[in-house]
Amino acid sequence: MTTFFVSIGIGLSTAAILSLSAVAFTLEYAVSRIANFAHGEFLTIGAYAAYSGQTIFHQNVAAAAVIAAAAGAAAGLALNFGLIEQFRGRSAITVFIATLGVAIIVENVLIIIYGAANVTYGFGQGKLHHVGPFLWTTSDIEVIISALAVAGIIYLLLQRTRFGKAVRAISQDRALAQVSGIPARRIIMQTWALAGAVAGFAGFVLADTVGTFGPTLGFGFLLLTITATVAGGLGRPYATFGGALIVGLAIQIAGTYTSSAYQLVFAFLLLVLLMLFRPNGVFVRRSAVAVRA
Amino acid sequence: MYWVSVITEAGIFAILALGLDVIWGWGGDFDLAFYGYLALGSYLTFVLTIGKPTPPVQYILGFHLPVLLSILLAVVVVVGLAAVIGAIALRNLRDIYFAVTTLGAVSALYLLVENYTPLFDGYNGVYGLINPGQTALNLTYNGYRIVFLGVVLVLLVLAYLLVQRLSRSPFGRMLRAVREDERAAAAYGRPVFGAKYRAYLFGAALAGLTGGLFAIFISAFNPSAWTPQELLVIYAAILVGGRGNPRGVILGVFVVYIGFIELTRYLPSPASRPDFAPAARQILIGLMIILMLRFRPEGLFRERPGLDRGPVPPAPAAAPASQRAAALPGLTSEERARREGDASKAARRRAGKTERVGKTE
Repeated sequence: MTTFFVSIGIGLSTAAILSLSAVAFTLEYAVSRIANFAHGEFLTIGAYAAYSGQTIFHQNVAAAAVIAAAAGAAAGLALNFGLIEQFRGRSAITVFIATLGVAIIVENVLIIIYGAANVTYGFGQGKLHHVGPFLWTTSDIEVIISALAVAGIIYLLLQRTRFGKAVRAISQDRALAQVSGIPARRIIMQTWALAGAVAGFAGFVLADTVGTFGPTLGFGFLLLTITATVAGGLGRPYATFGGALIVGLAIQIAGTYTSSAYQLVFAFLLLVLLMLFRPNGVFVRRSAVAVRA
Repeated sequence: MYWVSVITEAGIFAILALGLDVIWGWGGDFDLAFYGYLALGSYLTFVLTIGKPTPPVQYILGFHLPVLLSILLAVVVVVGLAAVIGAIALRNLRDIYFAVTTLGAVSALYLLVENYTPLFDGYNGVYGLINPGQTALNLTYNGYRIVFLGVVLVLLVLAYLLVQRLSRSPFGRMLRAVREDERAAAAYGRPVFGAKYRAYLFGAALAGLTGGLFAIFISAFNPSAWTPQELLVIYAAILVGGRGNPRGVILGVFVVYIGFIELTRYLPSPASRPDFAPAARQILIGLMIILMLRFRPEGLFRERPGLDRGPVPPAPAAAPASQRAAALPGLTSEERARREGDASKAARRRAGKTERVGKTE
């Protein structure tokens, strides 16, 4: 039973990171109606930015996190301005393939800058804590708390601000939002910056939790992110947190009782099952048969 | 000899690209599992020909079958796997959902092969198929390489003729009609899933065959030979050559493989940065994909002029199964008797409309 609770504890920490990445992915989808295959690269960029920054700021975790978020936001802005807006009006799959090209470019630019070998942060994982039945390190607890904080901030942003109202309007219908006087381009820009910042921060916590990382960090996490997003339902920011919880717990528990090498295999099987039976998310009562991407 | 091997490799990939083009170019399905079919075909060709494994090496089967029979069996198994993945992914999922599902499937396969050593010896991979038939044909090593190139080129011509014929056949037109507008095609009585499914299996069969050829060509295969990046090069080649146009696709592969690999050989690769040249090559591939998509999505050679248009309109959602079923009995016999071309014309008219609507979304 102890093993079970420990694996749930790790699962919760995985789910926290996953929820950060997935909520950013789903925000990008909500305003631009595209699946961003270069999303994993936001995470990688955040992780490497924090890696570069840690020496300047003497291993200050908070400063590293801020740098990661800032780098992610810059990457989000650049991608939206340089690619997504350039491809406006093209089919979703065309943009998807183009972002795949971006993913390849970013990954290899990072290889040229930092080398293909893995790097490690200088931060410690902190002590082990028994919290109820769970066993967490200090950084696990920080991860979970920060994920909850980000969830809260995003909720407040979307529900209580003019910006959030505009985002919701654009995700319903961009053209209609525009004729109603919403500066759609600017709001979409801001959304990408927000999503990039969340993703960059997620990349930093992911890299810190994994301990050692390379240029493929984000790409490897992308399919998990997509699985969590689909579990919640694409374009639904709140449901995404539920999706991340399901996926994080499911793969961690399955991995504990078989082998951690097969964790991702379970994630992909879960993804295929979701696609088959619940392509619009597990929280929708009846999934439509036809899926429009 | 260097050029013989470069051209052989390009020839093998041209066959692969023809298969992928049937799925993506004509069917419109962005398949990310495709390179997995080559890998499986390659692995199977090995384990069926190289005999029992000597410990600590381990893999399944380990037969001593003739190479041609092995490739045939490999193709059959590959088509079987594609039948399962296609049945799951093609029925209701389109566009990104389809792409992600196939990516999930191939990633699961990849992790399984890498981590489960009894299958194909995990990360080490399988090897040992060295110039099969060389002694029987009484050839020198170089002679064998040239004969193999000849075989590859003959197979490429055969594959081209087959694909070209298929392209102009009712099946090819049906597939394009389905790609342009599934609802319209279904309304004209075309089996949407059936058309896509058959195209998928055909493409996978070519990939399996390519896997067999690849096994003979490189005589070793391990997980690093089928990373996701490999598939992107094929997509880039199809994009450059002209999606949907078999001649363009072959040209694209030769341009990308030979032009690219040869030109980028002269990229500086300082000893302190051994990763530089391969990384720079990947960056160029990525750039090429983006620039082609942005500025010339139809590629160097358009899909057959007069019959079809280059840019892909947003693929419409699949008609719900119930609606599809309802559409079929409603067909009158005159409608069914109409020429096949009408469906694709109607599909194109409708598709034009969808595209405009899509732009304001």
